[in-house]
Amino acid sequence: MVKFLKLYEKIGIFILIVAASIFLAIVSPNFRNLSTILGIIMQGSYGAIIAFGMTLAITSGGFDLSVEAVMGLTSVIIAMLIPTMGFAGSIIIAIVASCFAGLINGLLITKMGISPLITTLAMQVILRGASLLITGGRQVVISQKAFMSIGATEFLHIPTPIIYMIVLFIIFYIILNMTAFGRHIAASGSNEQAAKMSGLNVSLIKTIVYILVALSASIVGVIRTSQALIGIPTMAPGFTLNVLTIAILGGTSLAGGRGNLIGTLFAGIFISMIYYGLNLLHVQIFYQMLAVGITLLFALFIDGLRNRYLETARIRGIRV
Amino acid sequence: MDDSKVKFTPKQRAGNFLSSFGLIVILLIIFGFFSSLIPKLYFTWPNFRDMIRFSTYVGIGAIGMTFLIMTGNFDISVGSMLALAGVIGASIAIKIGGFIGVIITIIIATLLGFINGIFVTKLKIPAFITTLGMMFIFRAIAYIYTNNVPQYIQDRFWIFLGNGSFLGLPLPIYIMAICYLIAYLMLKKAPIGRYILAVGTNSKAAALSGIHVDNVKILVFTLVGVFVGVAAVLNSSMLGAANPGMMGDGYEFQVITAVVLGGTALSGGSGSLGGTLLAALIIIFLKSGMSNAQVNSYWQQVATGVVLILAVSLNKLKFWLIGQTQ
Repeated sequence: MVKFLKLYEKIGIFILIVAASIFLAIVSPNFRNLSTILGIIMQGSYGAIIAFGMTLAITSGGFDLSVEAVMGLTSVIIAMLIPTMGFAGSIIIAIVASCFAGLINGLLITKMGISPLITTLAMQVILRGASLLITGGRQVVISQKAFMSIGATEFLHIPTPIIYMIVLFIIFYIILNMTAFGRHIAASGSNEQAAKMSGLNVSLIKTIVYILVALSASIVGVIRTSQALIGIPTMAPGFTLNVLTIAILGGTSLAGGRGNLIGTLFAGIFISMIYYGLNLLHVQIFYQMLAVGITLLFALFIDGLRNRYLETARIRGIRV
Repeated sequence: MDDSKVKFTPKQRAGNFLSSFGLIVILLIIFGFFSSLIPKLYFTWPNFRDMIRFSTYVGIGAIGMTFLIMTGNFDISVGSMLALAGVIGASIAIKIGGFIGVIITIIIATLLGFINGIFVTKLKIPAFITTLGMMFIFRAIAYIYTNNVPQYIQDRFWIFLGNGSFLGLPLPIYIMAICYLIAYLMLKKAPIGRYILAVGTNSKAAALSGIHVDNVKILVFTLVGVFVGVAAVLNSSMLGAANPGMMGDGYEFQVITAVVLGGTALSGGSGSLGGTLLAALIIIFLKSGMSNAQVNSYWQQVATGVVLILAVSLNKLKFWLIGQTQ
């Protein structure tokens, strides 16, 4: 069983993707052409990008429920500032503001010792309220059509969000797996006390992680705003659930200390395939909510099973 | 404070006494502030009565959550649970009758709480993430079940439960009083109260001393469902409808804030029903005050988030003062 679960951790998500691909290829003729597949990957890229940040947060032993509000905040700041500050200025300010929210999350969690659940749940409500305040509850239309070039264009026939996803994947992969900082994140998550004892500044590490989560959410906020050309204060309601589902389905353990970014990347695409499949059935949007919720429970089930078997193996002294 | 007998030194008692006294002071400050700011709207008997009537919605739902947080767990699916139980009960009430509808509402919510408990204990996954998934699943089922159509409540019995009066006081206040009395007796007099505290303080020690920890947790999750069911009946009665999308939106937030503001430690093991009740009143008094003073609703939203953070910080401060590490 331990072997099976270890194997699942490595290739489980690929099996799911292959199974889903075969299924979709049979039921939908459209699925067999490249542009549909690129479309699915593009739809998956938004969740995957934020899930890269979330993977780091979960690896560090926490999580962040405020990501959808960060997207909304980014969206309204850009829409409000574009007329006066231009593209670069408004994007930079939006991203800086988002990172500041991440910084506050990190400080409340590490310095005040408030649990990530309460901190980020409160931050979610506060940022939503702040975004609505900024626009007065309205959606703000962006009149500069050129702003669409950021997220709604193609580069070498590949939609730009996919390119962003790949670039960010490489960056996050290097951070988590090839740098000392990445090892420190995992160390903080697997055993915080031990990490502190061995001289790591756990507070600083975790704070940076929460800033990175907010940064990744903010980047998706920029992309989505550019595609819609509207600043939406209540952008993507319920998207946090998608992001958490992607990270956990990808094989990152909620117990902390074990992040799997490759799994996250493909889990993002898998969730997008579920959405595509449901769209084929012409069901209402509520069924998507239901599907993601059930997928999350499935991923949690596997994660719980794995933790339990790893625990048993450890007690028996088996090396895994 | 409603801590059980297992506790504690006089110093800690003093700290606990201070914390519940502190809540009364906050409540009086809020009431006094808005009363002097907008006396004609706020400092009136009808408004006071309405505020207490509306506080039952948060107050009753927070009873189960107090128990749950005392065991060191969370349930953030309560808002969706409220909506799902409410719409199913209301649809039954339309077809069969109000009394059956009310019973069904409570039974459904109890069942949903039980399901949460089974998932959390048997799959050994953290409660917050399980219930986060459930939050979306319950809400989705509520939409699908009703096809996004609000279920209007015309049954007189059901309407009476939330809007009727007895001896000059609104009926929900009596219902809330009964709920708190039952909960208080459970916590103080019944073995389950001791089990809850034992599991919350040290679940390993509790298991070693023969308590079936999983069963206690399942029971507490089920209790969350029972009280949310009662709140669902009152909420849909006061609003005259059970709306699959709007009902219980942000409810988990209010309920958790009430419990935390009431002085229940997030790490489990200690808590106070009286504090929860006072905190529920504080939340509604503040909300009503801000609405009556025509504070922008978005500012109110920001304020609720800040209040939660402040509440947790206050708790930390309290525990630090009385020298108890969480």
